[in-house]
Amino acid sequence: MVEEQETIQQSAPSPDPDLEVGLALVRRAKRQRLIETIKIGIVWVFLVALLTLGLLQLRFDPGYVFQHFGFVLEGVLTTIGVSLASIAIASVLALFGALGRLSRNPIAQGISGFYVSVIRGTPLLIQIYFIYLGLPQIGQQLIQMGHPKLGELFTLSEIQSGILALSLNYGAYMTEVFRAGLQSVGHGQREAAAALGMNRAQMLRRIILPQAIRVIIPAIGNQFIAMQKDSALVSVMGVWEITFRANRFARKDSKFIEMFLVAATLYWILTIISSWLQSRLERRMARAYER
Amino acid sequence: MKRLSVILTLLVIVVLLIAACGPKPTPEPEDKLAEVLARGVLIISTDPAYPPQSELVEGAERPADTKCTSDQHTASEFRGFDIEVAKEIARRLGVEPCFVTPNWDLIVAGGWSDRWDISIGSMTITPNRMEKLYFSQPYYTTPAAFFVHQDNTTFTQPSDLSGKRIGFGVGTTYEYYLEGTLEIPGEEIEFVVQDPVIKPYDTDLFALEDLALGDGVRLDAVLTAQPTGAGAIADGMPIKQLGDPVFFEYLAAAVDKAAGKDPIPLIQRVSEIINEMHQDGTLLQLSQEYYGLDLTSAAAEFDLDALGQFNQ
Repeated sequence: MVEEQETIQQSAPSPDPDLEVGLALVRRAKRQRLIETIKIGIVWVFLVALLTLGLLQLRFDPGYVFQHFGFVLEGVLTTIGVSLASIAIASVLALFGALGRLSRNPIAQGISGFYVSVIRGTPLLIQIYFIYLGLPQIGQQLIQMGHPKLGELFTLSEIQSGILALSLNYGAYMTEVFRAGLQSVGHGQREAAAALGMNRAQMLRRIILPQAIRVIIPAIGNQFIAMQKDSALVSVMGVWEITFRANRFARKDSKFIEMFLVAATLYWILTIISSWLQSRLERRMARAYER
Repeated sequence: MKRLSVILTLLVIVVLLIAACGPKPTPEPEDKLAEVLARGVLIISTDPAYPPQSELVEGAERPADTKCTSDQHTASEFRGFDIEVAKEIARRLGVEPCFVTPNWDLIVAGGWSDRWDISIGSMTITPNRMEKLYFSQPYYTTPAAFFVHQDNTTFTQPSDLSGKRIGFGVGTTYEYYLEGTLEIPGEEIEFVVQDPVIKPYDTDLFALEDLALGDGVRLDAVLTAQPTGAGAIADGMPIKQLGDPVFFEYLAAAVDKAAGKDPIPLIQRVSEIINEMHQDGTLLQLSQEYYGLDLTSAAAEFDLDALGQFNQ
């Protein structure tokens, strides 16, 4: 909105007292925001200094960190890749989960409610083990029953198992997010769409989803930030992401603090970048409601 | 709206692609050995958490002509005694070694779903594990010893640790020893520590880290492999070995009994190769190189047939 008024000023040179007052107010608000940001920044610098001071009290060797952080850094792409693939699949699952929860069909409602309940009620690590160890056993049964092609599909590689587990897990949590998003679209919109003669699918696709997505997208960003850190759990299967690399490399020279520090910093930087992207996206999504 | 359907379609394609990337069926070979030879690749599991047996190499380059798939790792990415043995076994089989790195507890649990062919990871032969796995001729032995903090003066021998807090890696033989349930074929074990307070760790090295915090701070002692403890001491950890080793482990390669194709020919062939490596001194030389000790001679005399693995 600031930018908009500045352009008005450029295109209208004639002095208008009301505009002057308005611009002065905007400038003051901007200045106050800047001062606030600086104050918060000072607090952050202070806290970072405090944290560094605390870390320096640990028995650790900064030189080792600088020599070997590259090995952990190579895992960043894997972490991002696993997280991105999982959040994409989770979003699809969540959309269907939310539609199921909101539908009047008892079967759809039952499936969706059961899915959310089971997944939210069990730890992610155990879900990973079930998918990695359990699914191939179902596959073997299928092969014995004479469906070799189908059975092979159940033996997922470590990365596939990880992505599947993360997708299922986050899909359940995000079902609630999607449900809230879909419900946030006013009832009048549905009535108007029905009045135009749209069927339920058209209504969802053309009217409800485009409006719900504004509410949902920022929340997905939030889940993505959480997922980047939960993706550390796939290291148990031997996926070479940040945590695996830090953990296993540390054992070479017993430099656990050093390597975990590298891993923690990388996760932190990743989430700072994601939060920044998220806030940009949020601002863009909110544009339609600004006046 | 159009864009949304495009995104949804893309997502579906991604999902299908991931599903389609599953392992391809190879119908022809009848057993695991034939399959490995036909594939030209031996897929080996190793947990690079246990130097000097297996550790990671920084900045490793994958050979351009490798047959290892993208989620497998080439021998160049690791270093260690197990890795050298694995490379030599693969060389004598005439195939390329490729490595995967699942957690140790997943390796010893069996039920590998053919994700890898063989474990060459210093696995101790135990009756428990023999239920799920077939073992090869052991390629070396490891003495197990207690370690305490450098500053400690109250303990003089392992039996002094009765009722104390002792750390170990979860799923290791050290756990079974402390529980008093360890059985090692061909060995009489004396459980000298009574009623310890057991403290399981993700791996032995985490236990050593906690021990290094100070005498009795979190742990009074750690039970682990003598070479592992010696390695930690060499890295500057303030700990020391307590008394003589309490038992010896025979360490061998292993295959999954539940493999899709008969694994017995493979493990028999690997046993033959290990016996050759004992006879021509390859293993002794590697042992001297990595541990400065002869850890292999006892393993060469181990009577594998006495286990009766293939009788049932």
